[in-house]
Amino acid sequence: MSWNFETEHFNVRLPVSDQDGEALYALLSQNDAVAHIPRQAMNIEAQALDELRRIAMRFESREAAFWLVERKSDSKVVARLGIQHINWMMLNSRFQWELDQECDLTVLQEVLPVVMTYLFNELHLHRLEMRLRAGDEKQTQLLKALGFSYEGTLPSVSEFEGQDVDLDIFSLLSGELLA
Amino acid sequence: MKFTPELEIPGGRIKPLHYDDIDGLFALYQNPEIPGQRPLEDKEQLNRMIEYSVQMAATQRGMMWAIETDGQIKGLVSGYDWQPSELRIVMRVDGLPSLSQKERADALQAAINFLSSKYHVRNFAYQWIDGQPVSIKDMLVECRFQKAACFRGAWRTGNTEFADVEQYHWISSAEKPVPRRLGDDDQLGQNLSASKEGDDR
Repeated sequence: MSWNFETEHFNVRLPVSDQDGEALYALLSQNDAVAHIPRQAMNIEAQALDELRRIAMRFESREAAFWLVERKSDSKVVARLGIQHINWMMLNSRFQWELDQECDLTVLQEVLPVVMTYLFNELHLHRLEMRLRAGDEKQTQLLKALGFSYEGTLPSVSEFEGQDVDLDIFSLLSGELLA
Repeated sequence: MKFTPELEIPGGRIKPLHYDDIDGLFALYQNPEIPGQRPLEDKEQLNRMIEYSVQMAATQRGMMWAIETDGQIKGLVSGYDWQPSELRIVMRVDGLPSLSQKERADALQAAINFLSSKYHVRNFAYQWIDGQPVSIKDMLVECRFQKAACFRGAWRTGNTEFADVEQYHWISSAEKPVPRRLGDDDQLGQNLSASKEGDDR
């Protein structure tokens, strides 16, 4: 059973710890890519190497899986997609993405089906949930265009940069992806 | 070190779980309120649950109280998924059919008041699973909880069956605590001293 996929224009693959540091740093050092989580952008490359090691350990324990979306034409990593907080009893998981500015709806419509098919058909998950900082118009438009449903807003879930953060909840159930 | 206090409620009290109450707790688990949950078969498991309840409270991961009114254990009120640094927790009340909505609300309110005043918890959530009595939602509104989201198919009730989960929140208006100078008034090993034999829990 392979966790690596291919579409017409992209490789969707698990990261390689000693090779992907630079590419991951280039993506996660962009504030626009992580602001919706919300999370601080990386500011030194060593953080990406730490993240790659963490990802590998979390994948080994089947606690999480993250894929890099690499464009075939120039090998640029344009997105990271991932699942975490996997609840194997309830068959649900949190979904997360970090998108380069070159990763738009068209790209997501090409790569998400292979990932979602794997999550729903091979791993037999029933529900994916995405949480993002309340009121993020760009992310909301993308999620809705892909078939995610807005379920509500959880208040004061955490603090970030001195502010209480509310999180919007979106979900996608098996068979709902629009692509 | 006592982490879970006994608290008065009208007509009774909520109290830490104790080995003497195992029969009452076992009766409670013969009437599971959560969709898909089966009645407990092995009473021995409750010994472990009581141990966990002490450990959870000591490490600030959760807190459990038995609800006792008219001298009878009628339910449990508990907090779980406690995130102390984020000042939030998820609450839950399980009860026998004889536990009234008023008693539920009183027990929930007593637990919330304690967690709010002692640990400065500000954000209280409660999850209602489709299939549970609708009256629980009325009780939550009475306790000033507001519905925040409905998670579709988030609770598995069978091999291929799922129920929706509604999440309610009540946010305290109390000021957030201001951190003191760390290390002052510290009690070494404060989380390690609770034991099964002792009265401390």
